[in-house]
Amino acid sequence: MTHLPYILASYGLFAGLAGILAIGAALRLKAARTKLATLENSALRRSGAPTSQ
Amino acid sequence: MTRKTRRLWLVIACVACLGAAAALMLKAFSSDIVFFVTPSQVVSKPPPADRTVRLGGMVVAGSVKREKNGETPIARFEVTDGQAAVTVRYEGILPDLFREGQSVVAVGTMRPDGFSASEVLAKHDETYMPKEVAEALKKSGKWDPRFGPPPSAESWNTMTVQDAKKNAPAAPATPP
Amino acid sequence: MSASQSFVARTGSLFHRYANPGRFLRLGTRLQPWLTWPALFFTLAGLGWGLFYAPADWQQGDSVRIMYVHVPAAILASSGYAALAVCGLLSLVWRHPLADLAAVEIGPVGACITALCLATGSLWGKPMWGTWWVWDARLTSVLVLFFLYLGHIALIRAFDDPQRGYRAAAILALAGAVDLPIIKFSVQWWNTLHQPDSITLTGAPTMSSSMLWPLGLSMLGISLGFAAIVVARLRAAVMESRVRSLLSSTRRRGENA
Repeated sequence: MTHLPYILASYGLFAGLAGILAIGAALRLKAARTKLATLENSALRRSGAPTSQ
Repeated sequence: MTRKTRRLWLVIACVACLGAAAALMLKAFSSDIVFFVTPSQVVSKPPPADRTVRLGGMVVAGSVKREKNGETPIARFEVTDGQAAVTVRYEGILPDLFREGQSVVAVGTMRPDGFSASEVLAKHDETYMPKEVAEALKKSGKWDPRFGPPPSAESWNTMTVQDAKKNAPAAPATPP
Repeated sequence: MSASQSFVARTGSLFHRYANPGRFLRLGTRLQPWLTWPALFFTLAGLGWGLFYAPADWQQGDSVRIMYVHVPAAILASSGYAALAVCGLLSLVWRHPLADLAAVEIGPVGACITALCLATGSLWGKPMWGTWWVWDARLTSVLVLFFLYLGHIALIRAFDDPQRGYRAAAILALAGAVDLPIIKFSVQWWNTLHQPDSITLTGAPTMSSSMLWPLGLSMLGISLGFAAIVVARLRAAVMESRVRSLLSSTRRRGENA
């Protein structure tokens, strides 16, 4: 008697949860980084703009 | 800075008070928090017949009798805590871990002729030992799982499966 | 009193050095690969060893392999809440801004790992004990921990003014920390269906070294993974707050113009 389904379910739950948390964190990090980069770029351009006007 | 120090002491005082309150409450409800009662407690103060209790202890070696009532298996065994023993009757399939010398928790009621269980749970201990090491210990006569917990962990927890396999054939040669 | 004052002041300034979000971002960016890749390596090594090479237990057979997931999850569930309590202390006493952000990010990850601990415990209990769940002191106190996490997650997001949410959640985190010693010692103070700890500070582990090694590896890997996910979320949170402040400052400028 190996109780294989219980063991596989445990490892599967772990893998699923770890995957969801890791991918979620990575996507959030990427989105925040790109948003911050575009905002800082536009802020730089705007701060440069008034002198040229 | 004094404001921060004051806040620190305030937090410490609150946590200490809360901890003390929780400790007192747990102490007061201690007898209700226990998951099972021991056979000696049941023998010295038998609970009323209509009250469901959980009886915990070790299955006495050689006390298990299995019969069959049609399709349903019936098991009778004694549960002990070393001081008293209670006979338990259980109708149904016992858990896989059930064996003589195993700790179990039987849920049921105390009857005049013994304990009638509606559910039997197996309680395993905190010892984690490879099968082969357990076999080697049994063969060398150092331990019989039916009569008690395994020997001190220092004596076997660095023993590998290979050691166990190497030692096992030699063991029967030495008289127990 | 003056000694304790200078202690509070000194520790405060130490914490505030890392309260600077820019400094934390630089530190976190450098730290991240050192957490992520070792976490992946040690988790795969430990769980692979546990699942395929570690020996079966003499009484539990192969079901003992659930331990390599369940035990790290259980230890991290408690450690994560201890981290929340430390964040709560930093927030209440030193008004540490990064501690508040960290508390927001640790909560969901800790709740997930506590849920994993409860689920794997259930999956272990059914074949071994013969039941999915019992109301013994260990299992109940861990369930209480799970609800404390849920309460913390809800409370810290419950107010329009985030500062009020941070204060309330910090108080809950500190008060809930009372549950941690109850979880730890429940198996000693009361008789439970759950077995006592195999690894203690005082005695030799009652576990074969051939099972202790894979357990140690997966413990290390999953802990690093917990830290890696929290650091990544915290970095994202710092960037998001900077995005918000940039947006509001440009909007203000737009209104002024």
